[in-house]
Amino acid sequence: MSSIFQRQVVYLVTAIIVAIMFIDFFFFETSTWIGEQVQTWGMVIYNIAMGLGAIRMMMSHGKVIQRRSTNWQYSGMLVGLFALTLITGLVGYASTGDPQSNSLYDWIFSNPYVSLDATFYAMTGFYIFSAAYRAFRARNIDAALLLMAGCIVLLTNAPIGEVIWNQIPIVGRWFLDYGQVPAMRTFMMVGAFGLLAYGLRALLGREKGYYGEVAGGK
Amino acid sequence: MSGESILVKLQKIDRRYLYWILFIGLAIPFIRPIGLPIAVTPSTLSLYNELKTLQPGDVVLLNEAFGVGGIPECMPATAASTKIILRQGAKLIFVSPYVDYQILWARLQELVPDFAQKEYGKDYVFLGFYAGLEAAVAQLGANIRTVFPTDAYGTPLDQIEMMKNVNSARDIRLVLSGDTGDWCDYYIRQWHTNYGTPVGEIGIAMLGSSYMPHYRAGVLFGMSVGSRGGAEMEKLIGEPGSATVTMDSINVSHLLVIAAVILANIGMLSARGKGGK
Repeated sequence: MSSIFQRQVVYLVTAIIVAIMFIDFFFFETSTWIGEQVQTWGMVIYNIAMGLGAIRMMMSHGKVIQRRSTNWQYSGMLVGLFALTLITGLVGYASTGDPQSNSLYDWIFSNPYVSLDATFYAMTGFYIFSAAYRAFRARNIDAALLLMAGCIVLLTNAPIGEVIWNQIPIVGRWFLDYGQVPAMRTFMMVGAFGLLAYGLRALLGREKGYYGEVAGGK
Repeated sequence: MSGESILVKLQKIDRRYLYWILFIGLAIPFIRPIGLPIAVTPSTLSLYNELKTLQPGDVVLLNEAFGVGGIPECMPATAASTKIILRQGAKLIFVSPYVDYQILWARLQELVPDFAQKEYGKDYVFLGFYAGLEAAVAQLGANIRTVFPTDAYGTPLDQIEMMKNVNSARDIRLVLSGDTGDWCDYYIRQWHTNYGTPVGEIGIAMLGSSYMPHYRAGVLFGMSVGSRGGAEMEKLIGEPGSATVTMDSINVSHLLVIAAVILANIGMLSARGKGGK
């Protein structure tokens, strides 16, 4: 009984929010007060969710440390570094209103974080190089055509392509404009229609998974 | 050693050798720059041309939606665009949905010496970080003050001279979104569709294919794609920078990828011709 009531409440709240946003968007030139309030609430809930996510992450890794599960040392590092970043940031914020004013917090961001983030991002280049070597094989005519087009587009994007043959950018642009753009446009349109259908089903209460997860029903 | 074994080996080069080849290949241009000429693509030229139409007093929102890992690809075009914006006498609002926002703002100020001749609060403002994905972008368009009651330093927006008459997307001339993800989509849907605000994109190379349909349809007024776009912007403003230097590495890495693919396929086709798999 209570779960049915719970689900009805979720349906009702969703219907009210949808009605407000629908009317706000289609019937008013500028956003109404209530429309703004709903959007502000959405942002507040998003931020609360971020905080809850952080708490949940700490609880999850705390359990791993407590039980000395596999690789618990990594969880220990995560919890320790999380606490260090949080505390130093809060100290900076409490003293000047700017977390970055704490020298340790600033150091964490400007040195280990920047270097690690840039390194991880740059490493993908090496993996792509290796993957291209292993995967791009002309096993049949389709794969061969795809491979040729890929190589031409690669040379189009690099200035050296034009030096090798001055027609390469023209051929590459043709592939991009008349091959890639229509395909991508189709993909986007299909995705948008799918999203519309999904939204409509969710609003009509027919997307059971969405409501089921929220309301705890089946 | 038989010929066949070499062909088979060509298909199975250890990845560690490939990594070393790429590493050395990328290092060579830094020791001995090649400096090939760069042609400007239409999408970058459109971005440049639209920025050049800015009038003194126009307000531009710069959304930096990338982390420090995206700096090599997105920052050169962002810096070049910021130089144009400030030199046209337009006003700049800086926002970012990434926790790296302070590093990005500091880096942008380092790369754009024009900030020194401008006055904070009058010519540019640093609003800082916002969370909330597309809902936050929609809210920014409707009422900036509900997302940013103050700037990043805690000054109420009403006390900042250039923000006194800036309340919503209607008061902003154009948006420039630096991206490694979907943020430009949010501005297209929530700002361009609802308010008609022109949106420009500065994205990583991977996003070129995602946003090209928007550019071709006229939804985006211009687009800079990856380091190449950055180098083109640097060429257009006549100030070569980090992206121009990076172009040599792009040449080498792209050629190496093609060479590796050709090598592997020669091995495969030759082995197949001799009855192998």
